[in-house]
Amino acid sequence: MHVFSVSRRVAFEQAVSGCLDDLYRYAYWLCRERWQSEDLVQETALRAWRGWPGLHEHRAVKGWLFKILYREFARSACRGRIQTVPLDELVIEPEVHSDPALGLDMLRALAALDEQSRHALLLQVLGGFSCVEIADVLGTSEGAVMTRLTRARQAMRHVLQPREPAGEAKEL
Amino acid sequence: MNCLEFRRVILADPRRLGAEAAGHVGQCAGCKEFIARTLDEEAQLARALHVAVPEGLHARILDAVAAARGRLRLLALAASVLVAVGIALAAGWKHNDELALAGINFVVLEEAQSITDAVPSDWKVLARVTREMGVSLPEQLGEMRYICVYPFTAGAAHHLLVKTPLGKVTLLLIPDRALASRAAAAAYGLNAAVLPAAKGTIVIIGDSPRSVERAEMLLKS
Repeated sequence: MHVFSVSRRVAFEQAVSGCLDDLYRYAYWLCRERWQSEDLVQETALRAWRGWPGLHEHRAVKGWLFKILYREFARSACRGRIQTVPLDELVIEPEVHSDPALGLDMLRALAALDEQSRHALLLQVLGGFSCVEIADVLGTSEGAVMTRLTRARQAMRHVLQPREPAGEAKEL
Repeated sequence: MNCLEFRRVILADPRRLGAEAAGHVGQCAGCKEFIARTLDEEAQLARALHVAVPEGLHARILDAVAAARGRLRLLALAASVLVAVGIALAAGWKHNDELALAGINFVVLEEAQSITDAVPSDWKVLARVTREMGVSLPEQLGEMRYICVYPFTAGAAHHLLVKTPLGKVTLLLIPDRALASRAAAAAYGLNAAVLPAAKGTIVIIGDSPRSVERAEMLLKS
């Protein structure tokens, strides 16, 4: 095999390996199921490999991978290839989440968000992306992302601190 | 920046505190408490979203990419082989001219019938036809037998048999069909060439390329 091919493969594997955990978690909270999440990550990696020669800025690989996964999820969901588990049938095994009850609450809370807010929140918390980067992934404006993230965090507070007295709205 | 703007900015991205927001939080105790609490919630949110990654995920994903890479290489190889075969075929392909092929088909399928149906032919007619077509039939061509006028490709052809040193050659003289340039065909072990005459077309059919070329050369001379 050509030296260039080897170095290209190694560079790709190193870059992708560093993001696989976060990609899997992003996929998991979208698909709500392990195997579909793995399939989604695998498809993302395959697409990334095909597109790797065209990626000029390898430092931006993480955002690029999340963007591929986001689009692949949208495409698969549109074609009915991803069968999201209904909310009332959701189960989180202890080996998946250290606090399955909290995980289940998270799933339900995320499901209650509108799709773009869900993506924006997951991209920021799991991927660590800025509003500008998220806007690029979702194909929207920075302002729209900021609004969605604000609303999403407010909604999440109720899941994370269910017993806390209401009054969050007064803070803003 | 006022408190409302600060809290909106923080809720949008708690982990990135801009210079303006940092300046505000230094002067506002309420917002300082707000950001501390928001960061605490952010940490809780991150923990809540932290599902375990299945064992062996990295290996499975990278193996799948490697397998796909292998398939892509095979596909690329197959594609290049196909292209090479295509080029070779295109380069080696001898296009059969339609009229020349019709001449071969005539010899294979109809010549015997033409000979059977032939009535004593008028050599004067042939002489007139060759004159009109601007064709001369030299003696070196071989022993000629004028069979008849026979229907040929929506027209009529004067059918001649020539016994040459290289075997039997069939000539079809078609006065009413113009031809732009020479063409050839090969089928059923026979070879054929079509030649433009001053007026009309000559079809030569023989059982070898050499016999056809010889007849062609003599007709031209």
